Amino acid sequence: MKKLLTTILSLGVAASAALASEHAINAVKVSEKLDAVKADSAVWSKAKFETVILYPQTAIYMNDKKANALPENVNPKAKKVQVGALYDGNNIALLVKWADGTKDVQSNASTTSYSDGFAVQFAGISKVPQVLPYIGMGSEGRPVVVHLQKAMETVYEPNGNKDVAHQINRQQTGLFGKELAEFDAKVAALGNHDYEKVFVGEGYRSLTEIKDGSVKSNAAMTYAANGWTGTLSRPLKDAYVNLNGTVPVSIAVWDGSKMGRNGIKNLSPWIAINLEGQKPNAAMHAELTTDSKGDPVKGKEAAAANGCNGCHQIETSDPVSFLSPSLKYVGGYSSVAYLRESILKPSAVVVPGYNRNAHANTPWYNIEKGKRVSTMTDYGFLDKETVDNIVAYLKSLKAEVE
Amino acid sequence: MSKRQLAMVMDLNKCIGCQTCTVACKTQWTNRNGREYMYWNNVETYPGTGYPKNWMELGGGFDAAGDLQPGVIPNLEADYGVPWDYNYESLMGGQADSNTFHPHISPTWGPNWDEDEGAGAFPQDNYFFYLPRICNHCTNPGCLSACPRDAIFKREEDGVVLVDLDRCQGYRYCIAGCPYKKIYFNPKISKSEKCILCFPRIEQGLPPACAQQCVGRIRFVGFLDDEESQVHKLVHKYKVALGLRSDYGTQPNVYYIPPTESPAKFDAEGKIIEGSTRLPVGELEKLFGPEVHDAIKTLKTEMKKRKETGVSELMDLLIAYQHSDMFRLDNNYYQQVAKENKRNPLAPVDTRYIAGKFTKAGGHH
Repeated sequence: MKKLLTTILSLGVAASAALASEHAINAVKVSEKLDAVKADSAVWSKAKFETVILYPQTAIYMNDKKANALPENVNPKAKKVQVGALYDGNNIALLVKWADGTKDVQSNASTTSYSDGFAVQFAGISKVPQVLPYIGMGSEGRPVVVHLQKAMETVYEPNGNKDVAHQINRQQTGLFGKELAEFDAKVAALGNHDYEKVFVGEGYRSLTEIKDGSVKSNAAMTYAANGWTGTLSRPLKDAYVNLNGTVPVSIAVWDGSKMGRNGIKNLSPWIAINLEGQKPNAAMHAELTTDSKGDPVKGKEAAAANGCNGCHQIETSDPVSFLSPSLKYVGGYSSVAYLRESILKPSAVVVPGYNRNAHANTPWYNIEKGKRVSTMTDYGFLDKETVDNIVAYLKSLKAEVE
Repeated sequence: MSKRQLAMVMDLNKCIGCQTCTVACKTQWTNRNGREYMYWNNVETYPGTGYPKNWMELGGGFDAAGDLQPGVIPNLEADYGVPWDYNYESLMGGQADSNTFHPHISPTWGPNWDEDEGAGAFPQDNYFFYLPRICNHCTNPGCLSACPRDAIFKREEDGVVLVDLDRCQGYRYCIAGCPYKKIYFNPKISKSEKCILCFPRIEQGLPPACAQQCVGRIRFVGFLDDEESQVHKLVHKYKVALGLRSDYGTQPNVYYIPPTESPAKFDAEGKIIEGSTRLPVGELEKLFGPEVHDAIKTLKTEMKKRKETGVSELMDLLIAYQHSDMFRLDNNYYQQVAKENKRNPLAPVDTRYIAGKFTKAGGHH
């Protein structure tokens, strides 16, 4: 263990960070109803809070020149958040607290304003629950449900209630005085004040908003004392999820001052929430909490010998590659099982990645018989020890904690 | 690439910068609901800053290897200009500040802030021309390629590029990806919006509002694969209509007849310098690529031929004796597409412009 710690430290990673994220969270069962729980509800005093580390998500290099040039995005930091969970038999509720020195609410009168926000991702119903969906919004056949809450000024939803008459400019109404004031009030009332959305997804690019009301959830975020408190409650069981025993969740936060949106965020790996009093899913718990057994130093040598950085950006000094996801900070948000699977069976999870048109000469995959087949070489020929070592090395690739 | 492609050709020799197209578009689509600052159609003075400010330097498009290039999302106040309103209400109501008519903000920038300034020294060699711009409905759109949610699509039936507002989450990478900055962020709904080539009009046999209202008759609209269409003849047969900044690699489908006619320069005494021309061809080459030289040559040759013989198909096309000679829309085709997709086929509301490749009945002639 001492040797492993030293090597991790020598790779510039805080050892405490590496261990803290593997904690599981215990969801306390309460008798209070949680469907309308708020950040200041007294029931939260019963929750057991744990620290979860959210790592910068850098798999894809997007095309916003200004966002890419921000020093906070060039050298992104991992972020500690506090997470507590409760359940009442019908609903599960999460409270997430994170520090953010600036309160960024997206303006409805600017083209360059971005919001703070948070999201909670749940694994959808699947035949093999212990094989988790890809952390980046699921994967084919392994769906996720994502609850998103953003801090926005009034947002008008054009497809919401199809009220075209109140979407015209006030100067073109031909109204004055009292009638114009009434028009303004009606317009304000039509504004969708709460930017809370629920999505289903089977991989990056595929997220689709659930608009038919089939998910009854309640999310909110409040800012005080240089930080946000986000709350979410949702049913334990609906058409999309069936949460019991051990619940895998992942948490993301966005920072508007870093022009955060989409992939410019901090993301936790899958973490286990144990519903206290229910039988834990041992296989899934092991999947979520087991660390890599290999030697990261040998793994680094093996990665170099097998030419991984020919396609992947691994070290910060490697060039940005559009041929494959960047592995620069992959260890933060990826599970051991996912990394192992990706080495041995590159086509098991192939996320759509970039638009096929954006980097047409460096495709992540080809489509064969309607299936995405990764352009990555199959490394199934590697022996178990080498794979363990490479996985250990990849797990060590994490951004520093803020 | 879509199955068919609608295209527009704009004859810059005829554009008088009257902004009728701009107003036609604005009153039709962008005078409300967070779009107030947007100009899906604008007419800018070239050389000039353009709209948004210095759009040619804001990145996007593709490099020679076909990789999407990073770009900058323009700022409402600094780059587009905040649209201002006046205190009509207080003037009408006779309130305290009604003595003066004033804007609600102090304007610092707006479209056409530098209108008609151009370049060069007056009166020796100053020059400018007007450059009307709409979305290019590119064959290889930068906006579409940049979207991480597949919220932008190109219609199979006519190549019109549209935003799916249900999928759009307001990330704005499309704006960075479009080298023409012709897709805009609507801050009121937190989604991107853009020129839709007036597809609801096109499908019913009407040209886009900007083209129908054009008093200079500079805009031709039709399908590129329809060999009888004006756009096919100008783009493919005579090769006098060229894409704007094709070097951005998006394969734009709005084409321009480059301005060929400009007055001669004056010398220090104010006398005409014979054989000189104010408009530097290098500027045209920057905008329209090296093909501009051949296009200008063809235009001059045909002009001369017309003067000498009275016959030139190209000149007849460009003169456009009847407004209906500028459009070949294809109502029958849209009817078929609607049937194939089990949509409600729309009857034409105006049959003057619909003599397209697949349209058997109707039309002007």
